[in-house]
Amino acid sequence: MTSKEMLNHLVAKHYEGALQAKKEGRPVVWATSICPQELLETMGLVTVYPENHAAAIGARKEALTFIEHSEAEGYSADICSYARVNMGYADIRHAEAQDIPLPDLIFCCSNICNTVIKWYENLAKKLNIPLIMFDMPFNHTYEVPAHSVKYMRGQIEYAIKQLEDFTKKKFDYDKFGEVMKLSNATCEWWKKATDWAKVKPSPLNGFDMFNYMAMIVCMRGNEDGHKLFKLWHDEMEAKAKKGKGPWNSAEEKYRIIWDGIACWPHLAVTFKTLKKYGINMVTSTYPESWNVRYETNDLSGMAKAYASNYANRNLDYDTDNMKKLVDDFSVEGIVYHSNRSCKLMDFRQYEVQRRIAEATGIPSVVFDGDQTDPRNFSEAQYETRIQALVEMMEKNKEAKRRG
Amino acid sequence: MSYQDIIKKLETAALHPAKTVTEQIRKTGKDAFGCFPIYTPEEIIYAAGLLPVGMWGGKTELKLADKYLQSFCCSIMRSNIEYGLKGTYNMLKGIILPTFCDTLKCICENWKAAVPHIPIVPIVYPQNRSIDAGFVYMTEELQRVKGEMEKITGRTLSDDDLEEAWELYEEYRRTMREFTDTAAEYPQIIGAKRRHLLIKAGYFMDKREYTQDIREIIAGLKDEEKKPFAGNRVVVTGLLAEPAELLDIFEENQLAFAADDLAQESRQFRTPGGTEGSVWQRMAGRICDQRGDTFLYEEEKSRGQMLIDMVKEKEADAVVIFMMKFCDPEEFDYPIYKKELEAAGIPMLYLEIDQQMDSFEQIRTRVQSFAEMLA
Amino acid sequence: MYLGIDIGSSSSKVAILDEQKRIAAVSVLNLGTGTDAYEEVMKDAMEQAGARKEDIKFVVATGYGRINFKGADKQITEITCHAKGASFLMEDIHTIIDIGGQDAKAIKLGENGQVANFVMNEKCAAGTGRFLEVMARVLGCRIDELSSFAEKSTKEISISSVCTVFAESEVISRLSAGEKVSDVARGAHMAIAKRVMGMAGRVGYEPKVVMTGGVALNQDMVRCMSKEMGCEVAVAPYCQAVGAIGAAVSAYDISHKKEK
Repeated sequence: MTSKEMLNHLVAKHYEGALQAKKEGRPVVWATSICPQELLETMGLVTVYPENHAAAIGARKEALTFIEHSEAEGYSADICSYARVNMGYADIRHAEAQDIPLPDLIFCCSNICNTVIKWYENLAKKLNIPLIMFDMPFNHTYEVPAHSVKYMRGQIEYAIKQLEDFTKKKFDYDKFGEVMKLSNATCEWWKKATDWAKVKPSPLNGFDMFNYMAMIVCMRGNEDGHKLFKLWHDEMEAKAKKGKGPWNSAEEKYRIIWDGIACWPHLAVTFKTLKKYGINMVTSTYPESWNVRYETNDLSGMAKAYASNYANRNLDYDTDNMKKLVDDFSVEGIVYHSNRSCKLMDFRQYEVQRRIAEATGIPSVVFDGDQTDPRNFSEAQYETRIQALVEMMEKNKEAKRRG
Repeated sequence: MSYQDIIKKLETAALHPAKTVTEQIRKTGKDAFGCFPIYTPEEIIYAAGLLPVGMWGGKTELKLADKYLQSFCCSIMRSNIEYGLKGTYNMLKGIILPTFCDTLKCICENWKAAVPHIPIVPIVYPQNRSIDAGFVYMTEELQRVKGEMEKITGRTLSDDDLEEAWELYEEYRRTMREFTDTAAEYPQIIGAKRRHLLIKAGYFMDKREYTQDIREIIAGLKDEEKKPFAGNRVVVTGLLAEPAELLDIFEENQLAFAADDLAQESRQFRTPGGTEGSVWQRMAGRICDQRGDTFLYEEEKSRGQMLIDMVKEKEADAVVIFMMKFCDPEEFDYPIYKKELEAAGIPMLYLEIDQQMDSFEQIRTRVQSFAEMLA
Repeated sequence: MYLGIDIGSSSSKVAILDEQKRIAAVSVLNLGTGTDAYEEVMKDAMEQAGARKEDIKFVVATGYGRINFKGADKQITEITCHAKGASFLMEDIHTIIDIGGQDAKAIKLGENGQVANFVMNEKCAAGTGRFLEVMARVLGCRIDELSSFAEKSTKEISISSVCTVFAESEVISRLSAGEKVSDVARGAHMAIAKRVMGMAGRVGYEPKVVMTGGVALNQDMVRCMSKEMGCEVAVAPYCQAVGAIGAAVSAYDISHKKEK
């Protein structure tokens, strides 16, 4: 089995398992993408991730049905489109792309944004079900401050109590230790697999990373996920050793960072336009986002690891992080997705762009788009931006050739 | 000065913030210190011997801010960055910025780059306010901010300084609650716009002088005869009700504000502080006890019921929503309380606003239609 | 007699009611606020009704130009006037969709035809008559030709952009990709219908739905609206002048209330 086949198989298994659990009367949890899933896994709670689901609906070009429903309910077109899709789904309850069971518990972690606090609060209110909240304060300092770690650790301890009340089961700390160990191992394989893109040409087609991402969200803490990322890693290693690039039909001419999430409804167009010019997205901020690593059984370490992702860090960290990606992955250009859904990423983008340009001298472009709302993207505008980037990258290449 | 003269004084103060602040600096001999929305621990600034000044944006041409922010950023924050870059805030010794939303987080980071000569002290309030770890974190975060203030001013803050500032602010908040209650009984004297300006003036003045002024206005009002009001009374909700020209339209159409749930107004003072423990615990208690505010996580989301209760208590006829365009938290709350208000049969008027708006024709039509509908 | 005048952003309308509360005159001119058009429609309507100045007992003005119009005894918003006008002209109306030049609105009516709730578009022009003007220009046709073009459509094309500027470039690229004008015209109609449907959803619409305003003359637009809302959408008689008629009805009602 190739990792791609395994991926498709696991996605199907994941959703079927969740639907089956609901049928059997077992509780289902809806959770945010970088939450401490270790607690849920330890409790054996079946978990579905609305961000994954909204992305799937977007890629299937089905998002507008749900978005329009939410907007009729009063949601502004300016708020996160994942939220609008998911809120719509909570009412409509059927999507061609994939059905998911409605939740019995909401599990929310604000390390990715404050928007999820409002979104999940609304879900819990709408569906009248309990909510467990992890508040991970934004880090204005370069590192995560100690009193913040203590606060998050307190929340993990409190959440364990809440989960015990919800499941009427004792929390099994031995199992917790195993889950932590496995989660760390899976994250390590995820990181190692995506790191193969450092090789020139990159064996990894970066848009594939977007697909595998769904699994690092939902399968960090189990054996399936562990196997999948190990297999993917081995495939990348084999390809790299044979000197194979990202595609069979074309050669990698330019290596770029794609900043921000995909435009799911226009995935094919955005990908093909890049490929047409031989542009491979070799990395983004996402590989590091799920490289959640800490010592097993260290609750404070776990809290700190979860609070440390890119979106929750200050501008100086963001800049250093991006600079390191440019160096490590031999990046020649950056495409910034000004994603109407994600104010937290957008409103730092201009300054990061300036700093990276100054520090590295590599060219970049910003384009307007959205993660799932198809209405906020113009194909012609996108292609013009990409062409401009190619022209700038080519000029740099030529300058280098001339020495 | 008669209470009417004091009203005029405060209205003028609110309409000309720069002038007001300059005068206050001269009068009090204090340096000014900026306070971003929404809950800035002004007590700490005051205790440090500084003059806290509110930074709630304003009407200005947005040019420089585009260097940092896309057009879909809320207009208050775009204005603040614009003012920072233009030098309007150069009189400030520093600012405190609480990061209640994703936009505020980014504004804080951009500020460091865009306006490096005005030091910024971020404060991150906990969202999990009801658990012990959250409460302890809040007291620690407040003390960390105190430490930062000491570094900026080079002055050590004693507990006594803080106790004194705390008492003054509790008194200010008590007075403001009394003011909004009293104002509601005199809609002919305190119309929508005047009410807003009188409350806003407090952001640019020393709270000691301001609180005294408001007390005199309350006393003056209480001497007036209460008259029956021919128009309709509404409860307003949202971030703020600006630009002030908007409020003229409410007055023209005989719509009076019976009570507000605006972040810039009553949310600042409707909740008294804690009564037990250290001053830090009392300060934290005020944030913990706040209900129905979208910027503070609340599992039960009580805002809808709170608005319904306000309408009943104040015998109001409707709710008016001032929706600040691109304010995610406010936009997220709306569908939830809308449903609850609809179920309670309370009419609503939804107005999308931004601080740079200069054409009011469509809003005039909406407000007038709403008044026609209520009449 | 009782006169209602509606001065909109792109057209002016006058209606006159007689003592029996019957329509004595209706006049429409496609020139709006900021012009002298209202004098012309006023004159035309007076002639139709055979009325002299002194016969007019009460004048109500509505529309964007209502505030600056000097000759009115009272000014009332177009929301209230559309509600009055539609329930005067037709029975059992529960929802009004009015797509005007720069505003689109959905009005929900209560039991006696009074306004129970209403929603208007925000600043953006998507979902208004202005959007259609832009589309017509890009398609190279007159705005009144859009309907007959769209009726020939055989293929579903979605114009998904919310923003009018984006939609314009989307339409241009569709055309250069070889899509037919008729299909693109239909796509534009559906795009508006979707936007307006979103607003109608927010007021909680119920049948019977009636469409007013100049855009209601576009039959294909009405069909798209009906398809999107999942119920029949009727076109009000004198659809462009419903606001003016409502203003005239208000003028009549106010005068008679006074006499009592």
